[in-house]
Amino acid sequence: MRRLISTLLPMLIVVFFAGSLMAAPRLSIPEETFNFGFVPQHSKIAHEFWLHSVGDDTLRILRVKPG
Amino acid sequence: MEKEQLAVGDSTRLEIILDTKRFRSRVEKRPRISTNEGPPDKTVRIIATVMPRPDSTYPVIITPYKLDLSQFGEKVRDRVEFDITNVSDEPLSVELMSLKDEYFSVDLPDEIAPGETASAELILTDYGTKISFEKSFTFQLSDNAGSRFTVPVKRTMRTPGVQAGPAKGYGQGGN
Repeated sequence: MRRLISTLLPMLIVVFFAGSLMAAPRLSIPEETFNFGFVPQHSKIAHEFWLHSVGDDTLRILRVKPG
Repeated sequence: MEKEQLAVGDSTRLEIILDTKRFRSRVEKRPRISTNEGPPDKTVRIIATVMPRPDSTYPVIITPYKLDLSQFGEKVRDRVEFDITNVSDEPLSVELMSLKDEYFSVDLPDEIAPGETASAELILTDYGTKISFEKSFTFQLSDNAGSRFTVPVKRTMRTPGVQAGPAKGYGQGGN
């Protein structure tokens, strides 16, 4: 029994910490492209993209740079 | 953006605004999104064909091609009609692709016969009547090219103020 515990415990610790270290945020954007088609000049148009957090840690959006 | 931090399984919307003032013909932009996921940044892509002459488009002409619901008095302007004329020789069905539904809804015709003009209507939501904004909606046609059109929608509100009194330094009269 003692031998079993001494074998399994380190394995469980490794699995636990490996899991914590592997936790990572991940961003998913289902619709990555949007085509406005024909638009008049001298106007402002807008579209919203959905962003989903699909990783296993909190996702932080740091900045959005214009293209 | 509504939220800058997303818990696991959470979502948010990222609004991309394109000002077409400086552009003619095809425009493509790729805004980059940096997150704590690390590099490479993710990108979204927007494409538009900017028309210097939006009153002569094909296969439809939208009149007016920009919608303005600006309100400068107390009377609430909460709807506007516009026309879509099918200038092609085939019937076209119309499908709404994108709109800001917190601000307005759009009632489009299902189909427009060749050479016909159909009426459409944009109606502000209760929230949309209370604020100024510049947004747009996009619809797609059933022609072979799957042509899309985006209609800008603008609303400026000026709350009716108290009538301005005499400017400082002007005489009040009476003496």
